[in-house]
Amino acid sequence: MIHLSRITPIALLLAASLATSGLAQANPNAESVAAAIQAKPFAQTRVALQISDGGAGKQTLVLNVAHNLLKFYGQDKIDLEIVAFGPGLRLLFKGNANSQRIQELAASGVRFSACENTIKAMSKKLGHPPELNPIARIVPAGIVRMVELNKAGFFVARP
Amino acid sequence: MQLQKPNKKFQRYLAMTTLCAGLFAAMPSAHAANWLMLQGTEPADNAARAKVWGFIQPMYSKDFSNGFAGKYVPPKLVGPSLDSQSSFNILRARIGVRGTGFPLDSKVNYFILTEFGNNAITNGGHYGSYKPYLSDASVTLNYIKGARVRLGLFKYPGSEEGLQGIAAFPYIGYTSVTNQMLLERFPTNGETNIAPQTVPNADMNAFSAPAGAFRDVGAQVFDAFDVGNWEHTYAVMLGNGHGMQMTDNNSSKDLYLYWSSAYLFDKSAKGPFRPSLKMFTWYQSGKRTDAYDKTQEQERKRYGVGVSYLKKPFRVSAEYMVGKGMIFQGAQNPQRMFNNNKAAGGYVEGGYFIPNTKFELDLRYDTYKRNKGILKGPTPEAKFNTWTAGVNYHFNKKTRFTLDYSIRKDSSVFTPVNNQLKDVKGLLALQVTAVF
Repeated sequence: MIHLSRITPIALLLAASLATSGLAQANPNAESVAAAIQAKPFAQTRVALQISDGGAGKQTLVLNVAHNLLKFYGQDKIDLEIVAFGPGLRLLFKGNANSQRIQELAASGVRFSACENTIKAMSKKLGHPPELNPIARIVPAGIVRMVELNKAGFFVARP
Repeated sequence: MQLQKPNKKFQRYLAMTTLCAGLFAAMPSAHAANWLMLQGTEPADNAARAKVWGFIQPMYSKDFSNGFAGKYVPPKLVGPSLDSQSSFNILRARIGVRGTGFPLDSKVNYFILTEFGNNAITNGGHYGSYKPYLSDASVTLNYIKGARVRLGLFKYPGSEEGLQGIAAFPYIGYTSVTNQMLLERFPTNGETNIAPQTVPNADMNAFSAPAGAFRDVGAQVFDAFDVGNWEHTYAVMLGNGHGMQMTDNNSSKDLYLYWSSAYLFDKSAKGPFRPSLKMFTWYQSGKRTDAYDKTQEQERKRYGVGVSYLKKPFRVSAEYMVGKGMIFQGAQNPQRMFNNNKAAGGYVEGGYFIPNTKFELDLRYDTYKRNKGILKGPTPEAKFNTWTAGVNYHFNKKTRFTLDYSIRKDSSVFTPVNNQLKDVKGLLALQVTAVF
């Protein structure tokens, strides 16, 4: 016979774990391109990297490219933004296997932008908004952000 | 009645598990970092919807043993057919798919694998026929921090030699203790013992059901936790205790427990060759219904401890294991499986990856004593000591050639059995492993 008194604490713990694992967290909006440029006045090179594929290889590649750019130019001399949209938004999901690397790049000044249109589309499929990495900043549309960055002089690349 | 005891145990371990989960929930795990995690989970938020993968192992083996009075027993014949002393074979040919079916929610992972090679899983032996088999079919739910849940058919938590992915296994054959004590065989009513036979037309595999292949159908709660440079992993599982056969044949459930603590020399490294020093222990217990008398049940217990070290160019590992009940008495003796005998054994092995070359040298010593303390009768005490020297040539990261030569010294305290075992000699095996 299974005693309820034994099961109850276990069930409560499991339920609490389940409940906390599904909590969504709101991310702030990204600053404008002009404000981003002002924040890095000494940058001699400005690069925008697009990630719109969800595969592990693409995620690793875009993070490697960012790392290599930082290493070559130096973190004070480069202004680097990674814009994620479409399936590429998975890179900025909170539990992503690359979260540690993303954190390290963010600490070196790399900005991570998440497409709001993609978030809305994914929310419909999921039934709730995807939980994003806290370092992600929301932009209205990933592709528009890429265009704006390009117009402002950023070199745009899709590794 | 039989179900109640494991259930009570399971409740206790589940409570401990949940407590551990609560304590460790805030700690990030290293993810794909050990066999339980590598086989049971996918990397979060970047796994493919369906990744096709598998491996093929064509091989050749030659046994140099002599017969006794012109007749041979299974240790002197090439498996799984056990009909001759030399043979080419496709030992394993597996293809499968794994991934996360709905990529936006990578908390659900799946793993499916099929076996088309000719081995103890697929070869039906004297009483059956070759049949491809589903070797793995599992779903992992990663919704609860600290308590991932894996359901279905998969490798149960246990001995490192059985748990590790075969594509990373540096030798061609298992040790005697793993092959005999852990790789479970399931007799079927109607299968009778086979007396020694002459070659080249012997037929001594008396088991038609697929060997357990270190797998079971059941539910497992598990996870890994990082504490500094240490990674701790636990698993608790309940299974049918019926190997790869998908349904249970009795009401008893097998209990599996596992714990490992690994010191990671490089936390950023991932995969099966991650530099680490790992210590582990495991326990299994269950009951088996006698295939020849279904009113009888036999308890089966296995437990062990081990350690593995890998930091190229060196690899060293060792395990010691103990078993009680259902001690395998050879592929020719299905009717002697239902026993309460004791057995124990272990191995020490090491590898050296020659720097700046594609060669890896391996050396392994394994020992196994079965039917401990039984001096005569149909299941007398027997010893199996083997030295295996091997070399692996790695064409690339996914393809290698392996050459192993084993020197075997087997014996028994009972003369009729010893007569057959004393002439077990060398075994040569060559194999290519191609992973895709």
